[in-house]
Amino acid sequence: MFSAIGQAARARTMPLMAARTSPSIIMRVPGCRTIVTKKYTEEHEVVAFDDETGLGAVSITDHAQESLGDVVFVELPAVGSKVVKGDQIGAVESVKAASDIYAPISGIVTEVNEVLNSEPGLLNRSPEDKGWLCKIKLSAPEEMNELLTLESYKATWEA
Amino acid sequence: MLSARRLYTTASSASSVITPTHSIYLSTSTNPYFNLSFEDWLFRHAPQKEPLLLLYRDAPCVVIGRNQNPWKEVNFRAARAQSIPWVRRRSGGGTVYHDLGNTNFSIHVPRTTFDRGATAQVVLRAVRALGIDADVNERNDICVGGEKASGSAYKIASGRAYHHGTMLITTRLETLGDLLRVGKDTMITKGVASVRSPVCNLAQFSERVSHDTFVNAVVDSFKAEYGVYDEPCIVNDTDDLARIGYIQRGMAELPSWDWAFGQTPEFEYTIKKSFVWGDVTAHIHARHGVILSCTLQGLDSELGKALEGKRYGFVEDEELGVDMSGREEVVWAWLKEEMSSYD
Repeated sequence: MFSAIGQAARARTMPLMAARTSPSIIMRVPGCRTIVTKKYTEEHEVVAFDDETGLGAVSITDHAQESLGDVVFVELPAVGSKVVKGDQIGAVESVKAASDIYAPISGIVTEVNEVLNSEPGLLNRSPEDKGWLCKIKLSAPEEMNELLTLESYKATWEA
Repeated sequence: MLSARRLYTTASSASSVITPTHSIYLSTSTNPYFNLSFEDWLFRHAPQKEPLLLLYRDAPCVVIGRNQNPWKEVNFRAARAQSIPWVRRRSGGGTVYHDLGNTNFSIHVPRTTFDRGATAQVVLRAVRALGIDADVNERNDICVGGEKASGSAYKIASGRAYHHGTMLITTRLETLGDLLRVGKDTMITKGVASVRSPVCNLAQFSERVSHDTFVNAVVDSFKAEYGVYDEPCIVNDTDDLARIGYIQRGMAELPSWDWAFGQTPEFEYTIKKSFVWGDVTAHIHARHGVILSCTLQGLDSELGKALEGKRYGFVEDEELGVDMSGREEVVWAWLKEEMSSYD
């Protein structure tokens, strides 16, 4: 949880637009990603958008995995599929309940986390990192601006 | 008896427009596609902070969990013989059988206060109020004398969650057994497997229990638990409800190949058969209802290759595009029978 808060806080101090329009001022360290913006949805998904690659890694939030309990199955979208924000792109089932995964942003699915097929529990152990679900090449990166910050996401369920 | 009369005189006949703002709904439809779609509509449209109860019965059908494999869970042969359909529901869990002797309850609450133990207690209190000494097991299923009378499944969305379940009252348990008995031990499937349990009907334990008395008991228990005073809203698939786009789309989606078969998790099926000229082993790998590969040992043939990319259980002879030898024809007939979806 603390690392997630830290990343989001850093992301907010670097506005997306500024980063895109002036990439030259960013020091690029070989093998090291530069700007990753993390945004959330009310449906408990999180997107980590890498400004350099244009890819968004979609995960379910730590809070979501906590309320689901032990995940026993993850259904992932097909690589190459074109998704529109809000489309159902997968499903998660835990010992407690089934839940749907919706595309937080529009684009093309470039990669799915095949490890989850054999190790669905990874979603509990590392929901927003190793347990990522799929990577989407964003067709409209500005959609990131419409998503929630960590604070506003938390406000949706911390009533 | 008094309470039964109370229920059926409070139908919402004053207005044909049914809103998702009532606390208690009773569906008199027995169409599983309608009831499941109506339930989903309530789940997505009712006020998120308010508890909601829906009760309904379905005509005979098999209902599999969201992430289950129908070829593994449903005895298609028995289902076809009795003209009983099967449906993939939207909640998790295992496969159940519905008929008019089974009453389904569905309790919706805000996601943040969702507690499977608490909703199970609401139903347990209803069963006990009917004079039956029931208990809840470690899986939150309601049991009588160690046998399950009820199976539960759950769904969680952004701000809402539900616990729905079956309650066996006078269900035909032999039919239930026939339809849910599938032999395919060599079919290895991802997703969720059903847990087989001995079952019983509530009517075995009390003469007082019927659909109506159970419905009334659950309504009373729900009202007491959540401090609700609303009378039940009675709905049917002939109401304007069935013209709501969301419900219509749900009713069209549930029986579609894309949902019913296409949502099947990845599976592998290895089968062997002895022919007069030798043994053949087929290894079929499928995902989302589509054959990814089929390898044949004991037969030199392009048949396996020709099946790639085809819908498992739905391959027509003409689709294969291979000139088949006598042996291939015999093997194909066997494979087709083994994959059969009887639809």
